[in-house]
Amino acid sequence: MSKKLYDIVSKVFNVNLDRINDDSSPENLEEWDSFNFYVLLDEIENEFDVKFDLDETLEIKKIGDIKKLFVKYGIRCE
Amino acid sequence: MKNEENLAYFLNEAKTIKTGSLEKKLRVAFLASFTINGFEETMRVKCKKKKIECMTYVGDYNQYNQEILENDSKFYRFKPELTFLILDVRHILGELFFYPYSLSVSEREDFVKNKIREITNLIRMIIKNSGSRVILTELQIPTYSPYGISDQNEKVGVKEIVREINIGIKHEVKDELLISILDFNQFIQRYGEQNIFNYNQFFSGDIKISIEYIPKFVDEMMRYVTAITGTTKKCIVLDLDNTLWGGVVGEDGFENIKLGDDPIGRSFVEFQKRLLALNQRGIILAINSKNNFDDAIKVVKEHPNMILREENFGCIKINWNDKVTNLYEISRELNIGLDSFVFFDDDPINREFIKKQLEQVLVIDLPSDSAKFAHVLTEMNVFESLKITDEDVKRKDMYLGQRKRVEFEHKIGDINEFLKQMNIQVTIKEADNFLVPRISQLTLKTNQFNLTTKRYQQEQISSFSDDKNYVVECIEVSDKFGNNGITGAYIIKKKETEWIIDTFLLSCRIIGRGVEDAMLSQLIERAKRENIKKIKGEFIPTAKNKPAENFYKEFGFKEEENFWVFDTEQTIKKVEHIKMVKNE
Repeated sequence: MSKKLYDIVSKVFNVNLDRINDDSSPENLEEWDSFNFYVLLDEIENEFDVKFDLDETLEIKKIGDIKKLFVKYGIRCE
Repeated sequence: MKNEENLAYFLNEAKTIKTGSLEKKLRVAFLASFTINGFEETMRVKCKKKKIECMTYVGDYNQYNQEILENDSKFYRFKPELTFLILDVRHILGELFFYPYSLSVSEREDFVKNKIREITNLIRMIIKNSGSRVILTELQIPTYSPYGISDQNEKVGVKEIVREINIGIKHEVKDELLISILDFNQFIQRYGEQNIFNYNQFFSGDIKISIEYIPKFVDEMMRYVTAITGTTKKCIVLDLDNTLWGGVVGEDGFENIKLGDDPIGRSFVEFQKRLLALNQRGIILAINSKNNFDDAIKVVKEHPNMILREENFGCIKINWNDKVTNLYEISRELNIGLDSFVFFDDDPINREFIKKQLEQVLVIDLPSDSAKFAHVLTEMNVFESLKITDEDVKRKDMYLGQRKRVEFEHKIGDINEFLKQMNIQVTIKEADNFLVPRISQLTLKTNQFNLTTKRYQQEQISSFSDDKNYVVECIEVSDKFGNNGITGAYIIKKKETEWIIDTFLLSCRIIGRGVEDAMLSQLIERAKRENIKKIKGEFIPTAKNKPAENFYKEFGFKEEENFWVFDTEQTIKKVEHIKMVKNE
């Protein structure tokens, strides 16, 4: 159910899709750095037509946290 | 936004670039007062698409001052050719950005003067220490003032502070060849401050140009790269039906094509006006149309609402040949390389055909809606020059003369008779302040008849011409069909007993009329008068300068190691049909 989100993460971080799951974080994904995290957010916001608040973006520690925000905003990401 | 245009694409693509394979190279440095991640990656990818290998240096975060002031900094050791100095208004104004009226009017005026001096000093320091060209991004004019609508009434209000700093710097540097100002406010006007500035990104990472707009901003920077590397386009090739007017003249008839008096017709008039303006600044226009010649040329000549007329086109191909054949012919007749062409055609099949067969040509994917044509043209940014010279403006007339010359040549038939009747006159001119930009432009743009293909910026030409050990001259060619303008140049290094030809070039539209021989003959005769024994020249082959390959040999130069050498005691070629004049 998270394919579209994983696709974006895979594209932005330039890593294989099979390395991405809800627990992916800067700790286990070295391609995740502070700048391309903003690039990722920008892609997600454009793709799902949503704007996150600043504090929400600061809460994101792993990919699963983005899915929590999707639930909050009523976004389905099949 | 399409995938190929967003920052994620450029960041990933930049990782795949291999170095060392491209002929054109450029060293670019970025110094900024805020986070500019993504800029250099995007520029390298965009350069690669233009077949330029771009090497970059990005200054440490907000360390530009130290890097500029220390003359042994990493920045200077990088040896940049082009430096972008990107300062933002919040940084320059500091607390004044929020509280502009905490200072008195006279303090604000002093502030403006100081900032103009500080920034211009920094730029001059860069040039002094590195010789790099500097592009300064002007400061963004704030759209907010705590005084609200009354800010307009204030003496030296917050917007005026910024405007005055921008104008002051521009005024200070306007005569400096190595400095250009990037019009940041025009960029913001086009895309909107609310898109370009994203508070979340700013608070999180001091990102002052939002991630979505970084590629667009780099496009603005690329305009300078285009101008400096001479990769600018020279000619627009146009289809007629549904490109310059609405409808098909062969089917709809002269009276029924759409041009002028209706909404669709207005869109084509607008497009033509934008094209005419480019033509007036020296971009060549050409027609490449599958049509009945008489039907189509009648519209060009007689339609009351036609903006572009026959004399605006340097070459006209209206026939039933395929478009690739026509484009080759246009390239040959105008003597312009295929990579200098832009191709406009409403028919996707024609476009695909050109793309496949002639990949050097820039093919524009015209939208089906003619209302967007003018906009597509004005967004292209491929016709860039740091300074429009007199030659640029005169060029359209020269190509018109060229068309007439070709017709005359066909009429006369015999080449020697043709040359005799042309009354060619070559005027030699020593480089001066007016000619330096043109000579530099010639070294940057001339590819075919160019013996060494050394590219020189204006300031390099200037320093050669100030040096007593160098001769820097150019030639103006005229004939019975008009003046061709400054179309050739050479740079000679004078030594005690020999002269070395550093640069010798002739614009492609003059080749084949004996001008190159006449140019060299007068040079050798002059050397002989000054008791010089030998003239030495080099031919440095490139992908494009084959037309110059045998020049020295055919003139009588002898090969010695890597040089071609002419002994001034040898007989010197005489070019009878050309009259030489020296302009003292």
